[in-house]
Amino acid sequence: MSQSSRGRLGQILLIVGRLYLAAIFLIAGYAKIRPQLAMPWSVASIRTSLALFAMQVDSYQMLSPRAVNLLAHFLPFFELFLGLWLLSGIGLRFSSLAATLAFCGFMAAIASAYHRGLQINCGCGIGPAEQVGPGALIRDGLKFLPVALAVMIGAFLVHRRRWAANTTEPVAARPQAE
Amino acid sequence: MAYGSKNAPITMEVFSDYQCPSCGNLYEQTLKPMINDYVAVGKVYLVHRDFPLSMHKYSGDAARWAKAAAVLGHFESVEAALYDNQNFWATDGDIAKYIAAAVSPADFKRIEALVKGCEGPAIQAKSDRSSPLPPDAHPCALDTYIADDIQLGYKIPVQATPTYVITYKGQALPPGSGPVSWQVLKQFFDSLLSQ
Repeated sequence: MSQSSRGRLGQILLIVGRLYLAAIFLIAGYAKIRPQLAMPWSVASIRTSLALFAMQVDSYQMLSPRAVNLLAHFLPFFELFLGLWLLSGIGLRFSSLAATLAFCGFMAAIASAYHRGLQINCGCGIGPAEQVGPGALIRDGLKFLPVALAVMIGAFLVHRRRWAANTTEPVAARPQAE
Repeated sequence: MAYGSKNAPITMEVFSDYQCPSCGNLYEQTLKPMINDYVAVGKVYLVHRDFPLSMHKYSGDAARWAKAAAVLGHFESVEAALYDNQNFWATDGDIAKYIAAAVSPADFKRIEALVKGCEGPAIQAKSDRSSPLPPDAHPCALDTYIADDIQLGYKIPVQATPTYVITYKGQALPPGSGPVSWQVLKQFFDSLLSQ
């Protein structure tokens, strides 16, 4: 495989990975704010959904009720923002880094709950309700985190290559002094 | 076995095991204040469902005692006695001592008579979700009630205790499990009631 086709394949994989991550975060964020019980979209129904999500955050027993509320009202919107950021492709190094850190944070919370023997719903918002435990850890550890890491590494490599090209090009293009 | 009015806009069904520490925590820290603050004023109807797990040696016996007390109208005080003293009877299985302390001697005798009317070991939820009653069993009424709760729990499905199902105006939310603080649960109820 030539260098140019390898580069093109890498770019395609980067786009696919970026869209995959964007979809995960958009779905997860949407699942947490969408109105429950066939309620219409409104500020009140979103508030109810966030209060329901707060109950899931609270079940991890890691934070005070005040911190639970703050996190429950911040996280879904952060996930939506991150999903849109990844979708845009702007500053992919940083959005993929944020996605990687987010997955690490989710996995740490799940592992902590499992270690403490809590039998609670993961509250992840992706797929059917799942209990914290090896299943949720394997899903995050094998299906999500490696993609986020690969996209992040790819984005940094692409940036370094572009930066190297930009710094060497003017020198190469500079006309020789007579 | 329930607290409050059936006409309350919110119904909370809790599947629990009297010997499970998380169920004890949920009762002491969340359900007790909820009964006082929201059930008493008709905002919430709280339903207790038995889901005694086979991992807990005395959970089935405790469920029998509570059901017998419920039949005779003493569920509230017996449930409180079971959870308040969970650490004690869970070690030696002497549940009767705490029930006797929670009701009058005459009521205790009637409750005890109902429990003694049940033969064989108390029934418990099975990990393979098979029927909690043996196929050729002739269960007492208490065991039949407990088995009905367990079968209902299988359908939810209850994967751990406590598991709760909240219904608002006839529509059920996805089941939740594990502990939840009263402050956070109250906020959710308030947001539902403000709809």
